[in-house]
Amino acid sequence: MLVDAFLELLNLWVLIAALVGIVSGIIIGAIPGLGPTMAIALLIPVTFSMQPIPAIILLLGVYQGAIFGGSISAVLLNVPGTPSSAATAIDGFAMARRGEGGRALRFALYASVVGNIFSCLVLMALAEPLARFALDFGPAEMAMLMLFALLVIVLFGGGSKLDALIMVLVGACAGIVGLDPISGTPRFTFGSFAFENGFQLIPVLIGLFAMSEVLLQAFDRETLVGDVEVPPLKSSVVRFVELWRMRMTLFLSSLIGTFVGILPGIGSTVPAFMSYSLARSRSADPDAFGRGAPEGVAAPEAANNAVTGGALVPTLALGIPGDAVTAVILGAFMLHGLAPGPFLFRDHGLEVYAIFEALLLSSIPTVILGLLFFRVAIHVTRIQPRHLLPAITILAIFGAFSVNNSLFDVWVMLGAGVLGFLSRRANFPLPPLLIGLILGAPFEQSLRQALLTSGGGYGIFVGSPITIGLVALTVLSLAISLFFSLRKPRI
Amino acid sequence: MRYTRRSTLALLAGMAITPLAAVAQQDYPTRPITLVVPYGAGGTTDISARQMATMAEKILGQPIVVENQPGASGTNAMRSVASAKPDGYTLIATTSSPSFVTPALRDVGYDTLADFIPILNYSGPFHGVVVPADSPYDTLDALIEGAKSGAVTYGTAGAMGGAHLAFASVAKDTGTMLQHVPFDGASKATAAVLGGHVDAALVPAYRDLVQDGQLRLLGVLDGTSDPDFPDAPTLREAGLAAEFPSIVGIMAPEGTDPAIIAKLESAFTEVASSDGFKTFMTDLSQPVRIMSGEGLAATIEENLAAYREIAKDLGN
Repeated sequence: MLVDAFLELLNLWVLIAALVGIVSGIIIGAIPGLGPTMAIALLIPVTFSMQPIPAIILLLGVYQGAIFGGSISAVLLNVPGTPSSAATAIDGFAMARRGEGGRALRFALYASVVGNIFSCLVLMALAEPLARFALDFGPAEMAMLMLFALLVIVLFGGGSKLDALIMVLVGACAGIVGLDPISGTPRFTFGSFAFENGFQLIPVLIGLFAMSEVLLQAFDRETLVGDVEVPPLKSSVVRFVELWRMRMTLFLSSLIGTFVGILPGIGSTVPAFMSYSLARSRSADPDAFGRGAPEGVAAPEAANNAVTGGALVPTLALGIPGDAVTAVILGAFMLHGLAPGPFLFRDHGLEVYAIFEALLLSSIPTVILGLLFFRVAIHVTRIQPRHLLPAITILAIFGAFSVNNSLFDVWVMLGAGVLGFLSRRANFPLPPLLIGLILGAPFEQSLRQALLTSGGGYGIFVGSPITIGLVALTVLSLAISLFFSLRKPRI
Repeated sequence: MRYTRRSTLALLAGMAITPLAAVAQQDYPTRPITLVVPYGAGGTTDISARQMATMAEKILGQPIVVENQPGASGTNAMRSVASAKPDGYTLIATTSSPSFVTPALRDVGYDTLADFIPILNYSGPFHGVVVPADSPYDTLDALIEGAKSGAVTYGTAGAMGGAHLAFASVAKDTGTMLQHVPFDGASKATAAVLGGHVDAALVPAYRDLVQDGQLRLLGVLDGTSDPDFPDAPTLREAGLAAEFPSIVGIMAPEGTDPAIIAKLESAFTEVASSDGFKTFMTDLSQPVRIMSGEGLAATIEENLAAYREIAKDLGN
């Protein structure tokens, strides 16, 4: 089977499809606001007339390319192209400011290859048993998992825990705007139809991370004078030894990415931040994180690339997509006659294994093209910031508008930009705000769903082995955090 | 009627314009047509509308550009098309929810009946009542019976959707404890019923899971049985007075010239009845259900009234 599937790949069209997919993915991903979902959705019509294998390979190439492209703009411009690369931007941009943008991108590229290969192997080995595990995550399990994730961000996200908690709550409150997930009635919409959709993630993200930078640069005269010259890029190499030293970080991040990816609906942002926090807490020098630690780039990149393989497990085994991107990929599978489900492997085993192997092997062209393209992308940082700011503003407005073709989203983006600017001026951290916004609404929904199914009884939150395990993890994290804060000498 | 100078002038002006208008209709379309899809790219509505557009542009001789305007359960796109210029160059491929479910619940800024001319209906996924394969409920009757002694939970794609309202009216009529649990999309509701977190789910796209024996199909919410599962009864066949007919159709803004509507209806009907379209939709696990513009208008009108009643009962 594996050999037959490999022979299917020895086809010029398959190679062309992979190359076209990866290159267009890198380009689209590097544009702020244009993420993998939109890139894949735009290219689905292109694949209509193609054979299933090259078609899916093209789309998966776009996905991989777009994730790497997202890290280019995150590292060099501090403008994450995708929500998940927001974690990469923290240390990646700090490295870029030191002139180590090239090194940061190499770490990102190699880490993403490790994450991709790892999750692909897991996907190939464990597709069906793992799918059954994902189904055990009902509303109560999801609610406890998200509570745990929110707690991890507050406790281990770094900086003041109170600041982080405040930002998480601000984010969660922003998530309340829109239609009530249970009763369907409008909340805090002020009678406006535009508010019914709530604050869309991508405009908020672009505002928080891109627009706030523009405002910060525009209002902060001191930084502007200091930062007119971007430090020259040192020619850089990442030696294998350096990657080998962070092998445990890469392994754990890939593990987190893969397994969180299998759970429907969490996406790649949470594992990216989770593994960032984990790498930071495991590090011998946690203070280096946020100031340009290579591991702070490698950990989220390994994790968010590992999500692909993980998210494909429920998508292919059950036809239940793990996130927006795999939902689009699922549509492509159906379009090409590959109906997901347990019979997929029986009826279309050849195609599915060919696609798995292509996903595995696409690491090779991704590395080659990635190295070629960021050489080009590095020139972006040589432009003086004052020349770049108008371009970032225009890209931000365009990106925010293009998500839903809605002008309202542009206002949301600008509002988030002002909020991000004020928060950064006041030294409040932005990632907890983002996580609060991303997880707040689904957490509320899962919590209320669980209470609906249990008839209002809270026992459901400790009613299954998974919830008990998650509650134990939550209590343990609190205890660890408390233990360390008590041991720390008071100033 | 008095023949004043004004009415005569109006008559003359009207006579002068008529031939021009006729020419405009005959030439239609002379530039690309925009087909708005109220959901994101890559969903079934989007994919089927794109196929429809690709096949229809060969007949109409002009490109049909699909534009995605997702958000607010499709009502944003409906509102924007309702206020578009009624020249036949802006159309919408829409579904049940923004056509007659959400407008029955609250002000959405448009009136489906007054602001749109339905052109045709071409699809509409069947919504099934599904339970896990090891569920104690074998039939719809058993499910309803079970809900008499204790709460039975059912998941749907979202709050105040058509499926939810249909079962809410069943619960009211039968006096049973059917507890609704809304999910964020049908696939999450399907996952919840597969994992046994809810007792039942009202979802489309159940075919493969039912055929695989992971779910059991108790019935469908539509007016007719699913041809793939002729044994699964409709709610009415099972003695329950509720129905959620699912539509996927194309509509134009009110005021569009009848000649243009006729031309579009004939082109889209030709596509929808072709074998190529049927094969495409079967691969997508979607049925082809053709209904004329008038038929679609009647369905929308009927359901709008029915859903207003249900919404009133729910206290909204």
